[in-house]
Amino acid sequence: MEENYDFSRIGKQMPYTVPDGFFEKLEEDVMGAWNEECGMRNEDTSAAKKAKVVRMAVRAAIAVAACIALLLIVKKALPQGQDAAADDFDSVELAFNNLSTEDQDYLLEVYQEEQFLDNYLNELDNEESI
Amino acid sequence: MTDENEIIPLIRENAEKGFRLLMAKYKEPVYWHIRRLVVSHADAQDATQDTFLRIFRSFSQYSGEGSFKAWIFRIATNEALRLLARNQGKTTLSLDETPLVALTMAADSYFDFGNAEAVKLQKAITALPAKQQLAFNLRYYDELSYKEIADVAGSTEATVKANYHFAKEKIIKYMNSNDT
Repeated sequence: MEENYDFSRIGKQMPYTVPDGFFEKLEEDVMGAWNEECGMRNEDTSAAKKAKVVRMAVRAAIAVAACIALLLIVKKALPQGQDAAADDFDSVELAFNNLSTEDQDYLLEVYQEEQFLDNYLNELDNEESI
Repeated sequence: MTDENEIIPLIRENAEKGFRLLMAKYKEPVYWHIRRLVVSHADAQDATQDTFLRIFRSFSQYSGEGSFKAWIFRIATNEALRLLARNQGKTTLSLDETPLVALTMAADSYFDFGNAEAVKLQKAITALPAKQQLAFNLRYYDELSYKEIADVAGSTEATVKANYHFAKEKIIKYMNSNDT
């Protein structure tokens, strides 16, 4: 025989209760936490943008400085009237060989520093994108 | 007005206002749904807060397929399971667990011992296997359709109907017994 029970006797009553004003406080707590989270996210985004601009500026400055240094040194090393051939690789190599050891070391140092900074900045970019 | 043409457009237009409207409509149903699963008020409070924050964060991922209500209850159910898993020192807890949590009246101050029949009904519900408990609660208390419950449980309508039927039978049997 199928048993029966009159659910309408109890309806949706439950033995569970909540503190007074609980739901109002719950809403405020959640909205407060959400707004805080959004604020922190905006700050993070803004700081990341600033850091990116600074990194780009540093990178550009290093590249410009390296170019200027290279141009000045190569110009100094080339014989008069040979400027037009400066874009030729052999001429550049020849010019580099004509430099004093100190100048060669300086150029290599600038180049390595730029490479190191470039790698470092790329790593930072990668970390940021993660 | 339904969620789809009131709450969702408002969230897209003004997130703060939209989320407040969403909370106004769902804070109580979501809290009670979680409370029936986790039993303790403090746990239900934590899981409800986490549920709404997760809803806000992942709102952009709601595809519009399936009911918004079912999507919200699925997140709430997952948060309840996550909290129960944490309490039990597990990494995850699934609806295959049987049952989720026993009704421990003495452990919670926000419990009305006066209504003996209501206490007995909750004892019967919490003793059910998790899938049957979920099907019964969402149908009986939240009046979700079988399709919506299937979306919440990641199941099929036929399975949900069967789970609801078995749950109801067990509850009736328990309510007619002399057990208290």
